[in-house]
Amino acid sequence: MSDATALAAENLTKRFGGLTAVGGLNFSLRRGDLLSIIGPNGAGKTTLFNLLTGQHPPSDGRVIHEGRDISALAPEQRARLGLGRTFQISKTLTSMTALENVMIGAFLHRGKLAAAAEHAMHILDRVGLARRASVRAGTLTLSERRRLEIARALALDCSVLLLDEVMAGLNQREVDDVIGLVRQLHAEGLTVLVIEHNLKVVRAFENRVIVMDFGRMIADGTPDKVLSDPQVVEAYLGKKAE
Amino acid sequence: MSKIEATELGGRRTTGKGDRHITSLATELLRIAGLAGLFAIALVVLRDDPFLLNILAYTCLFGGLATSWNIIGGFGGQFSLGHGVFFAAGAYTTANLYFHFGISPWLTLIPAVVVASAVALAVSWPTFRLKGPFFAIATLALNEVAFVLANYFDGLTGGPRGMMLPFRAGFENMVFTSKLPYAIIMIGFLLVTLVTAAIVLRSRLGYYLQAVRLDEDAARSVGIGVLRVKLMGMAVSAGLTGVGGSLFAMYIRYVDPPTLLSIQDVGVRFLLISLIGGVGTLYGPLAGALLIVPLEFQLRATLGSALPGGNLMVLGALLVIFALFMRKGLVGTVSDIWDRYGRRRDE
Repeated sequence: MSDATALAAENLTKRFGGLTAVGGLNFSLRRGDLLSIIGPNGAGKTTLFNLLTGQHPPSDGRVIHEGRDISALAPEQRARLGLGRTFQISKTLTSMTALENVMIGAFLHRGKLAAAAEHAMHILDRVGLARRASVRAGTLTLSERRRLEIARALALDCSVLLLDEVMAGLNQREVDDVIGLVRQLHAEGLTVLVIEHNLKVVRAFENRVIVMDFGRMIADGTPDKVLSDPQVVEAYLGKKAE
Repeated sequence: MSKIEATELGGRRTTGKGDRHITSLATELLRIAGLAGLFAIALVVLRDDPFLLNILAYTCLFGGLATSWNIIGGFGGQFSLGHGVFFAAGAYTTANLYFHFGISPWLTLIPAVVVASAVALAVSWPTFRLKGPFFAIATLALNEVAFVLANYFDGLTGGPRGMMLPFRAGFENMVFTSKLPYAIIMIGFLLVTLVTAAIVLRSRLGYYLQAVRLDEDAARSVGIGVLRVKLMGMAVSAGLTGVGGSLFAMYIRYVDPPTLLSIQDVGVRFLLISLIGGVGTLYGPLAGALLIVPLEFQLRATLGSALPGGNLMVLGALLVIFALFMRKGLVGTVSDIWDRYGRRRDE
């Protein structure tokens, strides 16, 4: 593949027994894209995320990264190829300092301690956590921990950043904060895939949105177009009373 | 992000140097050199007291063994109860090469490392698929299997009768008439394990081991091959444990399965010392050994005859107290207090 496709799903399907959590999903992200995938609870967002990061193998279909089929690769192999991710329930290493958390990512391409520390410091600066470098991750606020997870993924020099509900549990001010960071990273040229439950967040990004429901794609387009789509409204709010 | 914060960060960008925030290896090596100085002073003070030199030798030996265990058990969080197997592997390697081939024990340290690491890799490959307590139980079983095997293969181990290593005093045979050289050797072993542990801790491997301990999913998400990292940590840990076994064999010049593979005196002891001193910290295992080993000698001397098993009761009580009130051990508790004061000073 010679075009600029960073990440793509081809007929991506995951079945758990008789339940089809993700059914024949197709989408692609070009380099530098910011794509949001939203859907109500149980739409299959997390399953999709796990298929992309390698937590689950797909039942059918493929995950393509930079033209390469990565469907059979383990999470750590995908990370080495440049897929950075965050976790829905934040998984910072709480007894380590913020800097060390990011160093864990920086070590992927930098064997030496000093080089990893320097790179990590640079990344912390980029996400606005430089002042908190020597604070233990466990004592950071929730929104700082979200930033820290993003920083850890960035330290991999990742080409695609996958964000799994990074806004969950944040208050409005913190949400704005993290949205600002994601937009900034996108503006700097990073390819970002955001999986999100919260519609407000998606609206703030003003980029392409895919809406999922029952494992299928039900809408694809700009936030304004998608959010006024009757199918989407129905998926979130239920049918209108006649 | 607010504008104010952004400019503030922009201003700091030039000053942001990562290595100011982490203890460098050079600093750790200086601290270890300081410890070496303290031990040298202890040697000078105790040089004419064989009883205390013996305690010093054991303290350093078990401090070194616990430090070795801590590399995989503490940094990596893999609570092996089977390190007695690697200890015995080193001891039997040295004993055999010295006994049958007259090879200098100093030279046997290299094959001891190789054999202990190889045994560790072979048994860890399957057991590392188990997590937490299940891994610990599997390694406990390994120790018991090794005990039976050591009794059975008497060609290699002398069986239940054991092997008495000939007394041929001389530096090349690592056999001495005084306790002083042994104490020096054990201090040397302790320092080697501390330096190795410091190098590991201040390297990619050390950070990866800690990441694996803290959260395997997070570790995998940054490209860490979990099994590979555990195996590397185990190989280093077991290799050092093997050296400890070799030195122990030459110190007591007698090896048999109960001495090398008893769970309470060997396998669990490394872990117990580390737990009391501070598991996962660089100096915790040493702190634990400094407390536990002399205490054990004292208890055995005072309680051993009057109340058989009394020493074990005291140790057990101590472990319970630490488990209840000082979960992070001596060093962990102290560093927590230090942290609290440090933060208050910062803000």
